[in-house]
Amino acid sequence: MKKIINKPENYVDEMLEGLYAAHPDYITYTADDLRCLVTSNKVAGKVGIVTGGGSGHLPLFLGYVGKGMLDGCCVGGVFQSPSPEQVFNVTKEVDDGAGVLYIYGNYNGDILNFDMGAEMADFEEDIRVETVVAGEDVASAAPAGPGEPNHRRGVAGIVFVYKCAGAAAAQMKDLDEVKRIAEKAAANVRTMGVALTPCTIPEVGKPGFTIADDEMAIGMGIHGEAGIRNGKIEPADAIVDEMLEKILPDIPYVKGDEVAVMVNGLGATPLDEQYIVTRHIDKRLKEEGIKVHRYYVGEFATAMEMAGFSISLFKLDDELKELLDAPAATPFFKQL
Amino acid sequence: MNSSYIVKMLAEISAIMNENKDRLIELDSVVGDGDLGLTMTKGFAAASEFAAGSDETDAGKMLYGAGKAMSSAAPSTMGTLMSIGLMQGGKVLKGKTELSNEDVVEFLAAYENGIMTKGKAKLGEKTFLDGFDPGVQALKVAVEAGEDLAAATAKAAVAAEEGFNAATNMKAVHGKPAVKGDASIGMVDPGACVAMLIFKAIAKASV
Repeated sequence: MKKIINKPENYVDEMLEGLYAAHPDYITYTADDLRCLVTSNKVAGKVGIVTGGGSGHLPLFLGYVGKGMLDGCCVGGVFQSPSPEQVFNVTKEVDDGAGVLYIYGNYNGDILNFDMGAEMADFEEDIRVETVVAGEDVASAAPAGPGEPNHRRGVAGIVFVYKCAGAAAAQMKDLDEVKRIAEKAAANVRTMGVALTPCTIPEVGKPGFTIADDEMAIGMGIHGEAGIRNGKIEPADAIVDEMLEKILPDIPYVKGDEVAVMVNGLGATPLDEQYIVTRHIDKRLKEEGIKVHRYYVGEFATAMEMAGFSISLFKLDDELKELLDAPAATPFFKQL
Repeated sequence: MNSSYIVKMLAEISAIMNENKDRLIELDSVVGDGDLGLTMTKGFAAASEFAAGSDETDAGKMLYGAGKAMSSAAPSTMGTLMSIGLMQGGKVLKGKTELSNEDVVEFLAAYENGIMTKGKAKLGEKTFLDGFDPGVQALKVAVEAGEDLAAATAKAAVAAEEGFNAATNMKAVHGKPAVKGDASIGMVDPGACVAMLIFKAIAKASV
Protein backbone atom coordinates (compact mmCIF):
# COMPACT_ATOMS: atom_id res chain seq x y z
CA MET A 1 0.00 0.00 0.00
CA LYS A 2 1.36 3.38 -1.01
CA LYS A 3 -0.81 6.20 0.32
CA ILE A 4 -0.21 9.68 1.68
CA ILE A 5 -1.64 9.06 5.12
CA ASN A 6 -0.67 9.00 8.76
CA LYS A 7 -2.26 6.17 10.73
CA PRO A 8 -4.73 4.16 8.63
CA GLU A 9 -7.30 4.28 11.43
CA ASN A 10 -7.26 8.09 11.30
CA TYR A 11 -7.90 8.24 7.55
CA VAL A 12 -11.51 9.44 7.71
CA ASP A 13 -11.30 11.80 10.66
CA GLU A 14 -8.10 13.49 9.42
CA MET A 15 -9.68 13.92 5.99
CA LEU A 16 -12.67 15.55 7.70
CA GLU A 17 -10.44 17.85 9.76
CA GLY A 18 -8.85 19.01 6.53
CA LEU A 19 -12.22 19.63 4.93
CA TYR A 20 -13.48 21.66 7.90
CA ALA A 21 -10.27 23.70 7.86
CA ALA A 22 -10.58 24.44 4.14
CA HIS A 23 -14.33 25.07 3.83
CA PRO A 24 -15.73 26.64 7.01
CA ASP A 25 -17.93 28.89 4.89
CA TYR A 26 -19.83 25.81 3.66
CA ILE A 27 -19.62 23.03 6.21
CA THR A 28 -19.41 22.35 9.92
CA TYR A 29 -20.38 19.46 12.19
CA THR A 30 -22.86 18.75 14.94
CA ALA A 31 -23.19 16.55 18.05
CA ASP A 32 -19.45 16.90 18.71
CA ASP A 33 -18.93 14.28 16.00
CA LEU A 34 -16.76 15.09 12.97
CA ARG A 35 -18.77 12.54 11.01
CA CYS A 36 -22.06 14.44 11.48
CA LEU A 37 -21.48 17.01 8.76
CA VAL A 38 -23.99 19.84 8.24
CA THR A 39 -24.24 23.02 6.23
CA SER A 40 -22.95 26.29 7.68
CA ASN A 41 -25.81 28.08 5.92
CA LYS A 42 -29.03 26.69 7.34
CA VAL A 43 -32.09 28.24 5.65
CA ALA A 44 -35.11 28.87 7.90
CA GLY A 45 -38.20 26.82 7.04
CA LYS A 46 -36.56 24.89 4.20
CA VAL A 47 -36.88 21.14 3.70
CA GLY A 48 -33.58 19.63 4.82
CA ILE A 49 -31.83 17.15 2.54
CA VAL A 50 -29.51 14.61 4.11
CA THR A 51 -27.28 12.05 2.47
CA GLY A 52 -24.55 9.76 3.68
CA GLY A 53 -22.59 6.61 3.13
CA GLY A 54 -19.12 5.23 3.37
CA SER A 55 -15.99 7.34 2.94
CA GLY A 56 -13.51 6.82 0.13
CA HIS A 57 -15.65 8.33 -2.62
CA LEU A 58 -14.90 12.07 -2.48
CA PRO A 59 -16.47 14.29 -3.66
CA LEU A 60 -19.33 11.86 -2.83
CA PHE A 61 -21.15 12.12 -0.47
CA LEU A 62 -20.31 15.06 1.71
CA GLY A 63 -18.94 17.23 -1.09
CA TYR A 64 -22.42 18.24 -2.16
CA VAL A 65 -23.44 19.84 1.14
CA GLY A 66 -23.74 23.56 0.55
CA LYS A 67 -25.97 26.17 -1.02
CA GLY A 68 -28.64 24.90 -3.39
CA MET A 69 -27.87 21.21 -2.84
CA LEU A 70 -27.66 19.22 0.42
CA ASP A 71 -27.88 20.23 4.08
CA GLY A 72 -26.21 17.35 5.85
CA CYS A 73 -24.15 14.21 5.40
CA CYS A 74 -23.59 11.25 7.70
CA VAL A 75 -20.05 10.09 7.12
CA GLY A 76 -19.18 6.42 7.53
CA GLY A 77 -15.78 4.74 7.70
CA VAL A 78 -14.16 3.76 4.40
CA PHE A 79 -16.84 1.84 2.47
CA GLN A 80 -18.87 1.53 5.69
CA SER A 81 -22.30 2.81 6.57
CA PRO A 82 -22.75 5.63 9.10
CA SER A 83 -24.49 4.67 12.35
CA PRO A 84 -28.19 5.28 13.13
CA GLU A 85 -27.16 7.75 15.87
CA GLN A 86 -25.19 9.80 13.35
CA VAL A 87 -28.16 9.80 10.98
CA PHE A 88 -30.40 10.91 13.85
CA ASN A 89 -28.04 13.68 14.96
CA VAL A 90 -27.68 15.12 11.46
CA THR A 91 -31.44 14.91 10.92
CA LYS A 92 -32.12 16.79 14.15
CA GLU A 93 -29.69 19.55 13.24
CA VAL A 94 -30.89 19.94 9.65
CA ASP A 95 -34.64 19.94 10.31
CA ASP A 96 -36.26 23.34 10.59
CA GLY A 97 -39.89 22.30 10.81
CA ALA A 98 -40.38 21.46 7.13
CA GLY A 99 -39.17 17.86 7.43
CA VAL A 100 -36.16 16.07 6.05
CA LEU A 101 -35.55 14.09 2.86
CA TYR A 102 -32.91 11.35 2.83
CA ILE A 103 -31.25 10.68 -0.52
CA TYR A 104 -28.62 7.94 -0.54
CA GLY A 105 -27.38 5.03 -2.61
CA ASN A 106 -28.93 1.58 -2.74
CA TYR A 107 -26.80 -0.40 -0.24
CA ASN A 108 -28.36 -2.61 2.44
CA GLY A 109 -26.28 -1.30 5.34
CA ASP A 110 -27.11 2.31 4.51
CA ILE A 111 -30.81 1.52 4.10
CA LEU A 112 -31.06 -0.12 7.52
CA ASN A 113 -29.11 2.57 9.32
CA PHE A 114 -30.93 5.47 7.67
CA ASP A 115 -34.28 3.78 8.37
CA MET A 116 -33.28 3.40 11.98
CA GLY A 117 -32.16 7.04 12.16
CA ALA A 118 -35.54 8.04 10.72
CA GLU A 119 -37.30 5.99 13.42
CA MET A 120 -35.35 7.85 16.09
CA ALA A 121 -36.14 11.23 14.51
CA ASP A 122 -39.82 10.32 14.42
CA PHE A 123 -40.02 8.84 17.92
CA GLU A 124 -37.88 11.34 19.79
CA GLU A 125 -38.34 14.58 17.88
CA ASP A 126 -41.50 14.14 15.77
CA ILE A 127 -39.51 15.00 12.65
CA ARG A 128 -41.11 13.86 9.40
CA VAL A 129 -38.59 12.04 7.23
CA GLU A 130 -39.03 10.80 3.67
CA THR A 131 -36.53 8.69 1.76
CA VAL A 132 -35.42 8.32 -1.84
CA VAL A 133 -32.93 5.52 -2.50
CA ALA A 134 -30.96 6.00 -5.71
CA GLY A 135 -29.81 2.96 -7.69
CA GLU A 136 -28.90 3.51 -11.33
CA ASP A 137 -25.92 1.30 -12.19
CA VAL A 138 -27.18 -0.63 -15.22
CA ALA A 139 -24.38 -3.18 -14.87
CA SER A 140 -25.33 -4.15 -11.32
CA ALA A 141 -28.73 -5.79 -11.84
CA ALA A 142 -31.57 -6.11 -14.31
CA PRO A 143 -34.08 -3.26 -14.29
CA ALA A 144 -36.84 -3.68 -11.71
CA GLY A 145 -40.22 -4.61 -13.11
CA PRO A 146 -43.35 -2.72 -12.04
CA GLY A 147 -43.82 -3.08 -8.29
CA GLU A 148 -40.51 -4.93 -7.86
CA PRO A 149 -37.71 -3.67 -5.63
CA ASN A 150 -34.76 -2.01 -7.37
CA HIS A 151 -31.59 -4.04 -6.81
CA ARG A 152 -29.27 -1.70 -8.68
CA ARG A 153 -26.38 -0.03 -6.87
CA GLY A 154 -26.28 3.72 -6.49
CA VAL A 155 -23.24 5.38 -8.06
CA ALA A 156 -22.25 8.74 -9.59
CA GLY A 157 -25.67 9.51 -11.07
CA ILE A 158 -26.95 10.34 -7.58
CA VAL A 159 -25.34 13.77 -8.03
CA PHE A 160 -28.10 14.64 -10.53
CA VAL A 161 -30.69 13.62 -7.93
CA TYR A 162 -28.98 15.82 -5.32
CA LYS A 163 -28.85 18.73 -7.73
CA CYS A 164 -32.53 18.69 -8.72
CA ALA A 165 -33.89 17.94 -5.24
CA GLY A 166 -31.55 20.56 -3.76
CA ALA A 167 -32.75 23.19 -6.20
CA ALA A 168 -36.37 22.32 -5.47
CA ALA A 169 -35.80 22.63 -1.72
CA ALA A 170 -34.01 25.94 -2.27
CA GLN A 171 -37.19 27.18 -4.02
CA MET A 172 -38.92 26.40 -0.70
CA LYS A 173 -41.03 23.61 -2.13
CA ASP A 174 -42.56 21.32 0.51
CA LEU A 175 -41.32 17.86 1.46
CA ASP A 176 -43.75 15.94 -0.77
CA GLU A 177 -42.78 18.03 -3.76
CA VAL A 178 -39.02 17.76 -3.13
CA LYS A 179 -39.44 14.00 -2.76
CA ARG A 180 -41.41 13.79 -5.99
CA ILE A 181 -38.64 15.61 -7.83
CA ALA A 182 -35.92 13.43 -6.30
CA GLU A 183 -37.83 10.31 -7.37
CA LYS A 184 -38.33 11.69 -10.84
CA ALA A 185 -34.64 12.54 -11.18
CA ALA A 186 -33.61 9.11 -9.88
CA ALA A 187 -35.91 7.46 -12.42
CA ASN A 188 -34.27 9.34 -15.28
CA VAL A 189 -30.60 8.69 -14.60
CA ARG A 190 -28.53 5.67 -15.64
CA THR A 191 -24.84 4.98 -15.07
CA MET A 192 -22.24 2.43 -16.01
CA GLY A 193 -18.58 2.25 -15.06
CA VAL A 194 -15.34 0.55 -16.02
CA ALA A 195 -12.35 -0.04 -13.74
CA LEU A 196 -8.70 -0.54 -14.68
CA THR A 197 -7.10 -0.91 -11.26
CA PRO A 198 -8.36 -1.85 -7.79
CA CYS A 199 -8.35 0.29 -4.66
CA THR A 200 -7.15 -0.35 -1.13
CA ILE A 201 -9.02 0.28 2.09
CA PRO A 202 -6.35 1.91 4.32
CA GLU A 203 -7.05 -0.23 7.37
CA VAL A 204 -6.96 -3.39 5.25
CA GLY A 205 -3.67 -2.45 3.61
CA LYS A 206 -4.01 -4.40 0.39
CA PRO A 207 -6.51 -4.46 -2.48
CA GLY A 208 -9.54 -6.68 -1.97
CA PHE A 209 -9.41 -7.86 -5.60
CA THR A 210 -7.11 -7.65 -8.61
CA ILE A 211 -7.44 -6.65 -12.24
CA ALA A 212 -4.67 -7.94 -14.52
CA ASP A 213 -2.30 -5.29 -15.96
CA ASP A 214 -3.73 -5.61 -19.47
CA GLU A 215 -7.36 -6.00 -18.40
CA MET A 216 -10.37 -3.90 -17.52
CA ALA A 217 -13.47 -4.68 -15.43
CA ILE A 218 -16.52 -3.58 -17.37
CA GLY A 219 -19.42 -2.65 -15.12
CA MET A 220 -17.47 -2.74 -11.86
CA GLY A 221 -19.03 -0.91 -8.88
CA ILE A 222 -17.37 1.80 -6.79
CA HIS A 223 -16.38 -0.66 -4.05
CA GLY A 224 -15.00 -3.16 -6.55
CA GLU A 225 -18.25 -5.10 -6.92
CA ALA A 226 -18.09 -7.45 -9.90
CA GLY A 227 -19.46 -6.08 -13.12
CA ILE A 228 -20.45 -7.65 -16.41
CA ARG A 229 -17.13 -9.01 -17.64
CA ASN A 230 -13.37 -8.69 -17.28
CA GLY A 231 -11.48 -8.55 -20.52
CA LYS A 232 -8.49 -7.13 -22.38
CA ILE A 233 -8.26 -3.35 -22.34
CA GLU A 234 -9.58 -1.79 -25.55
CA PRO A 235 -9.36 1.64 -27.20
CA ALA A 236 -11.39 4.41 -25.49
CA ASP A 237 -13.95 4.55 -28.30
CA ALA A 238 -14.67 0.83 -28.08
CA ILE A 239 -15.08 1.02 -24.29
CA VAL A 240 -17.51 3.92 -24.63
CA ASP A 241 -19.46 2.04 -27.33
CA GLU A 242 -19.86 -0.98 -25.06
CA MET A 243 -21.03 1.17 -22.15
CA LEU A 244 -23.50 3.20 -24.19
CA GLU A 245 -24.84 0.00 -25.68
CA LYS A 246 -25.94 -0.96 -22.14
CA ILE A 247 -27.05 2.50 -21.00
CA LEU A 248 -29.01 3.82 -23.97
CA PRO A 249 -31.67 1.07 -24.26
CA ASP A 250 -32.25 0.98 -20.52
CA ILE A 251 -34.79 3.79 -20.01
CA PRO A 252 -34.50 4.00 -23.09
CA TYR A 253 -32.84 7.21 -24.27
CA VAL A 254 -34.09 7.81 -27.80
CA LYS A 255 -33.81 10.21 -30.72
CA GLY A 256 -35.10 13.64 -29.79
CA ASP A 257 -34.33 13.23 -26.07
CA GLU A 258 -32.37 15.85 -24.23
CA VAL A 259 -29.83 14.74 -21.62
CA ALA A 260 -27.14 15.90 -19.26
CA VAL A 261 -23.99 13.79 -19.38
CA MET A 262 -21.61 13.09 -16.54
CA VAL A 263 -18.18 11.66 -17.25
CA ASN A 264 -16.80 10.70 -13.85
CA GLY A 265 -13.22 9.76 -13.07
CA LEU A 266 -12.93 7.01 -10.44
CA GLY A 267 -9.89 8.57 -8.76
CA ALA A 268 -6.77 7.78 -10.78
CA THR A 269 -7.86 8.51 -14.32
CA PRO A 270 -6.54 11.82 -15.69
CA LEU A 271 -8.85 14.48 -17.03
CA ASP A 272 -7.11 14.08 -20.40
CA GLU A 273 -8.50 10.57 -20.67
CA GLN A 274 -11.90 11.66 -19.41
CA TYR A 275 -12.10 14.18 -22.27
CA ILE A 276 -10.99 11.55 -24.80
CA VAL A 277 -14.01 9.60 -23.56
CA THR A 278 -16.23 12.69 -23.70
CA ARG A 279 -15.27 13.24 -27.32
CA HIS A 280 -16.61 9.86 -28.34
CA ILE A 281 -19.75 10.09 -26.19
CA ASP A 282 -20.53 13.36 -27.99
CA LYS A 283 -20.08 11.74 -31.38
CA ARG A 284 -22.23 8.73 -30.48
CA LEU A 285 -25.06 10.80 -28.99
CA LYS A 286 -25.10 13.02 -32.10
CA GLU A 287 -25.45 9.88 -34.20
CA GLU A 288 -28.35 8.75 -32.01
CA GLY A 289 -30.05 12.14 -32.32
CA ILE A 290 -29.84 12.74 -28.57
CA LYS A 291 -29.21 16.36 -27.64
CA VAL A 292 -26.78 17.12 -24.83
CA HIS A 293 -27.97 20.01 -22.65
CA ARG A 294 -24.76 20.12 -20.64
CA TYR A 295 -21.68 18.08 -19.75
CA TYR A 296 -20.16 17.47 -16.34
CA VAL A 297 -16.63 16.10 -16.69
CA GLY A 298 -14.33 15.44 -13.73
CA GLU A 299 -14.42 13.57 -10.42
CA PHE A 300 -17.85 13.30 -8.80
CA ALA A 301 -17.87 9.84 -7.21
CA THR A 302 -14.56 8.04 -6.81
CA ALA A 303 -13.23 4.83 -5.32
CA MET A 304 -10.03 6.27 -3.84
CA GLU A 305 -7.16 5.43 -6.19
CA MET A 306 -9.15 3.22 -8.56
CA ALA A 307 -8.49 3.99 -12.23
CA GLY A 308 -11.41 4.01 -14.58
CA PHE A 309 -14.49 6.11 -15.22
CA SER A 310 -18.24 6.03 -15.39
CA ILE A 311 -20.77 7.54 -17.76
CA SER A 312 -24.11 8.83 -16.47
CA LEU A 313 -26.94 10.01 -18.69
CA PHE A 314 -29.73 12.10 -17.21
CA LYS A 315 -32.86 12.45 -19.29
CA LEU A 316 -34.32 15.92 -18.98
CA ASP A 317 -37.70 17.59 -19.33
CA ASP A 318 -38.37 21.29 -18.76
CA GLU A 319 -38.84 20.86 -15.02
CA LEU A 320 -35.63 18.87 -14.45
CA LYS A 321 -33.68 21.13 -16.80
CA GLU A 322 -34.62 24.25 -14.85
CA LEU A 323 -33.66 22.58 -11.55
CA LEU A 324 -30.39 21.24 -12.95
CA ASP A 325 -29.48 24.70 -14.24
CA ALA A 326 -30.22 26.49 -10.95
CA PRO A 327 -27.17 27.91 -9.20
CA ALA A 328 -25.42 25.91 -6.48
CA ALA A 329 -22.26 26.28 -4.46
CA THR A 330 -20.64 23.56 -2.36
CA PRO A 331 -16.99 22.71 -1.66
CA PHE A 332 -16.92 20.42 -4.72
CA PHE A 333 -19.72 21.66 -6.97
CA LYS A 334 -20.09 25.22 -8.15
CA GLN A 335 -22.49 26.36 -10.81
CA LEU A 336 -23.38 29.99 -11.56
CA MET B 1 -49.82 -5.28 33.40
CA ASN B 2 -47.40 -2.41 33.06
CA SER B 3 -43.89 -1.75 31.80
CA SER B 4 -42.52 -4.33 34.24
CA TYR B 5 -43.97 -6.95 31.85
CA ILE B 6 -41.61 -5.59 29.17
CA VAL B 7 -38.68 -5.85 31.59
CA LYS B 8 -39.58 -9.46 32.37
CA MET B 9 -40.10 -10.37 28.73
CA LEU B 10 -36.76 -8.93 27.59
CA ALA B 11 -35.00 -10.66 30.48
CA GLU B 12 -36.48 -14.01 29.39
CA ILE B 13 -35.53 -13.41 25.74
CA SER B 14 -31.99 -12.48 26.78
CA ALA B 15 -31.77 -15.61 28.94
CA ILE B 16 -33.04 -17.97 26.24
CA MET B 17 -30.61 -16.52 23.69
CA ASN B 18 -27.78 -17.14 26.15
CA GLU B 19 -28.89 -20.73 26.69
CA ASN B 20 -29.02 -21.27 22.93
CA LYS B 21 -25.91 -19.32 22.00
CA ASP B 22 -23.92 -22.33 20.80
CA ARG B 23 -26.89 -23.76 18.95
CA LEU B 24 -27.38 -20.50 17.05
CA ILE B 25 -23.69 -20.21 16.27
CA GLU B 26 -23.74 -23.75 14.94
CA LEU B 27 -26.86 -23.25 12.81
CA ASP B 28 -25.55 -19.99 11.42
CA SER B 29 -22.15 -21.50 10.61
CA VAL B 30 -23.85 -23.88 8.19
CA VAL B 31 -25.69 -21.22 6.21
CA GLY B 32 -24.09 -17.88 7.20
CA ASP B 33 -21.04 -16.47 8.92
CA GLY B 34 -21.73 -17.92 12.35
CA ASP B 35 -22.08 -14.68 14.26
CA LEU B 36 -25.82 -14.92 14.93
CA GLY B 37 -25.37 -16.49 18.35
CA LEU B 38 -23.13 -13.62 19.36
CA THR B 39 -25.27 -10.80 17.98
CA MET B 40 -28.47 -12.18 19.49
CA THR B 41 -26.99 -12.70 22.96
CA LYS B 42 -25.19 -9.34 22.93
CA GLY B 43 -28.14 -7.48 21.41
CA PHE B 44 -30.89 -8.81 23.65
CA ALA B 45 -28.63 -8.52 26.70
CA ALA B 46 -28.25 -4.81 25.93
CA ALA B 47 -32.01 -4.43 25.40
CA SER B 48 -32.75 -6.26 28.64
CA GLU B 49 -30.18 -4.30 30.63
CA PHE B 50 -31.63 -1.05 29.37
CA ALA B 51 -35.15 -2.04 30.39
CA ALA B 52 -34.09 -3.38 33.79
CA GLY B 53 -32.15 -0.22 34.59
CA SER B 54 -34.84 2.16 33.40
CA ASP B 55 -37.53 3.74 35.58
CA GLU B 56 -39.62 4.46 32.47
CA THR B 57 -43.35 3.84 33.01
CA ASP B 58 -44.30 4.39 29.36
CA ALA B 59 -44.09 0.88 27.89
CA GLY B 60 -43.61 2.29 24.38
CA LYS B 61 -40.69 4.46 25.39
CA MET B 62 -39.15 1.53 27.21
CA LEU B 63 -39.33 -0.72 24.13
CA TYR B 64 -37.98 2.05 21.95
CA GLY B 65 -35.04 2.64 24.30
CA ALA B 66 -34.37 -1.11 24.43
CA GLY B 67 -34.33 -1.21 20.62
CA LYS B 68 -31.94 1.69 20.49
CA ALA B 69 -29.62 0.02 23.02
CA MET B 70 -29.72 -3.18 21.00
CA SER B 71 -28.86 -1.36 17.77
CA SER B 72 -25.63 0.02 19.23
CA ALA B 73 -24.68 -3.29 20.82
CA ALA B 74 -25.40 -5.48 17.76
CA PRO B 75 -24.99 -3.50 14.55
CA SER B 76 -25.28 -6.51 12.21
CA THR B 77 -28.17 -6.97 9.80
CA MET B 78 -30.09 -9.34 12.07
CA GLY B 79 -29.28 -7.25 15.15
CA THR B 80 -30.51 -4.12 13.42
CA LEU B 81 -33.70 -5.83 12.26
CA MET B 82 -34.47 -7.01 15.80
CA SER B 83 -33.84 -3.46 17.08
CA ILE B 84 -36.18 -2.07 14.46
CA GLY B 85 -38.80 -4.58 15.62
CA LEU B 86 -38.50 -3.35 19.21
CA MET B 87 -38.61 0.28 18.11
CA GLN B 88 -41.70 -0.29 15.95
CA GLY B 89 -43.31 -2.02 18.90
CA GLY B 90 -42.41 1.02 20.97
CA LYS B 91 -44.16 3.22 18.48
CA VAL B 92 -47.52 1.46 18.80
CA LEU B 93 -47.34 1.32 22.59
CA LYS B 94 -46.10 4.91 23.03
CA GLY B 95 -48.01 6.63 25.81
CA LYS B 96 -49.24 3.42 27.44
CA THR B 97 -48.46 2.74 31.08
CA GLU B 98 -51.04 -0.04 31.41
CA LEU B 99 -50.90 -2.98 29.00
CA SER B 100 -53.78 -5.20 27.93
CA ASN B 101 -53.45 -8.56 26.21
CA GLU B 102 -54.45 -6.83 22.97
CA ASP B 103 -51.52 -4.44 23.43
CA VAL B 104 -49.14 -7.40 23.54
CA VAL B 105 -50.60 -8.65 20.26
CA GLU B 106 -50.29 -5.18 18.76
CA PHE B 107 -46.66 -4.90 19.88
CA LEU B 108 -45.67 -8.23 18.34
CA ALA B 109 -47.58 -7.51 15.13
CA ALA B 110 -45.72 -4.20 14.83
CA TYR B 111 -42.44 -6.00 15.56
CA GLU B 112 -43.16 -8.41 12.70
CA ASN B 113 -44.32 -5.68 10.37
CA GLY B 114 -41.19 -3.61 11.00
CA ILE B 115 -38.95 -6.54 10.15
CA MET B 116 -41.01 -7.45 7.11
CA THR B 117 -40.88 -3.90 5.75
CA LYS B 118 -37.26 -3.08 6.55
CA GLY B 119 -35.94 -6.54 5.75
CA LYS B 120 -37.98 -6.59 2.52
CA ALA B 121 -38.89 -10.22 3.11
CA LYS B 122 -42.13 -12.11 2.62
CA LEU B 123 -43.47 -15.22 4.31
CA GLY B 124 -42.25 -18.49 2.84
CA GLU B 125 -38.74 -17.21 2.11
CA LYS B 126 -37.07 -19.12 4.96
CA THR B 127 -36.44 -16.27 7.35
CA PHE B 128 -37.16 -15.13 10.89
CA LEU B 129 -40.67 -14.29 9.73
CA ASP B 130 -41.56 -17.92 9.06
CA GLY B 131 -41.12 -18.66 12.73
CA PHE B 132 -42.49 -15.36 14.01
CA ASP B 133 -45.65 -14.93 11.96
CA PRO B 134 -47.36 -18.19 13.05
CA GLY B 135 -46.69 -17.12 16.65
CA VAL B 136 -48.28 -13.70 16.14
CA GLN B 137 -51.28 -15.17 14.34
CA ALA B 138 -51.89 -17.84 17.01
CA LEU B 139 -51.55 -15.25 19.77
CA LYS B 140 -54.03 -12.97 18.06
CA VAL B 141 -56.63 -15.72 17.65
CA ALA B 142 -56.27 -16.84 21.26
CA VAL B 143 -56.44 -13.32 22.72
CA GLU B 144 -59.46 -12.47 20.56
CA ALA B 145 -61.12 -15.65 21.84
CA GLY B 146 -60.69 -14.28 25.34
CA GLU B 147 -58.00 -16.67 26.58
CA ASP B 148 -55.69 -15.39 29.29
CA LEU B 149 -52.16 -14.35 28.37
CA ALA B 150 -50.48 -17.46 29.80
CA ALA B 151 -52.62 -19.79 27.68
CA ALA B 152 -52.47 -17.56 24.60
CA THR B 153 -48.67 -17.17 24.64
CA ALA B 154 -48.23 -20.91 25.24
CA LYS B 155 -50.25 -21.58 22.07
CA ALA B 156 -48.21 -18.94 20.22
CA ALA B 157 -44.98 -20.66 21.27
CA VAL B 158 -46.23 -23.96 19.86
CA ALA B 159 -47.23 -22.27 16.59
CA ALA B 160 -43.84 -20.53 16.32
CA GLU B 161 -42.09 -23.85 16.83
CA GLU B 162 -44.19 -25.41 14.05
CA GLY B 163 -43.34 -22.47 11.81
CA PHE B 164 -39.65 -22.87 12.60
CA ASN B 165 -39.81 -26.56 11.68
CA ALA B 166 -41.71 -25.81 8.47
CA ALA B 167 -39.06 -23.26 7.44
CA THR B 168 -36.51 -26.05 7.23
CA ASN B 169 -38.17 -27.27 4.05
CA MET B 170 -38.28 -23.83 2.44
CA LYS B 171 -35.82 -22.43 -0.08
CA ALA B 172 -33.77 -19.43 1.08
CA VAL B 173 -33.94 -16.27 -1.00
CA HIS B 174 -32.26 -13.78 1.36
CA GLY B 175 -28.72 -13.22 2.56
CA LYS B 176 -25.93 -15.77 2.64
CA PRO B 177 -28.17 -18.90 2.73
CA ALA B 178 -29.67 -17.82 -0.62
CA VAL B 179 -26.31 -18.46 -2.29
CA LYS B 180 -26.92 -22.16 -1.66
CA GLY B 181 -30.10 -22.06 -3.75
CA ASP B 182 -31.96 -25.39 -3.81
CA ALA B 183 -29.35 -26.84 -1.46
CA SER B 184 -30.80 -24.60 1.27
CA ILE B 185 -33.93 -26.78 1.30
CA GLY B 186 -33.65 -29.05 4.31
CA MET B 187 -31.27 -26.73 6.18
CA VAL B 188 -32.44 -25.45 9.55
CA ASP B 189 -32.95 -21.67 9.41
CA PRO B 190 -31.21 -19.79 12.23
CA GLY B 191 -33.48 -16.74 11.88
CA ALA B 192 -36.65 -18.80 12.29
CA CYS B 193 -34.95 -20.42 15.28
CA VAL B 194 -34.51 -16.98 16.88
CA ALA B 195 -38.22 -16.31 16.31
CA MET B 196 -39.17 -19.60 17.95
CA LEU B 197 -36.95 -18.80 20.94
CA ILE B 198 -38.49 -15.35 21.33
CA PHE B 199 -41.98 -16.84 21.58
CA LYS B 200 -40.81 -19.46 24.07
CA ALA B 201 -39.39 -16.65 26.20
CA ILE B 202 -42.58 -14.61 25.93
CA ALA B 203 -44.63 -17.60 27.07
CA LYS B 204 -42.31 -18.00 30.03
CA ALA B 205 -42.61 -14.32 30.92
CA SER B 206 -46.42 -14.51 30.72
CA VAL B 207 -47.04 -17.29 33.22
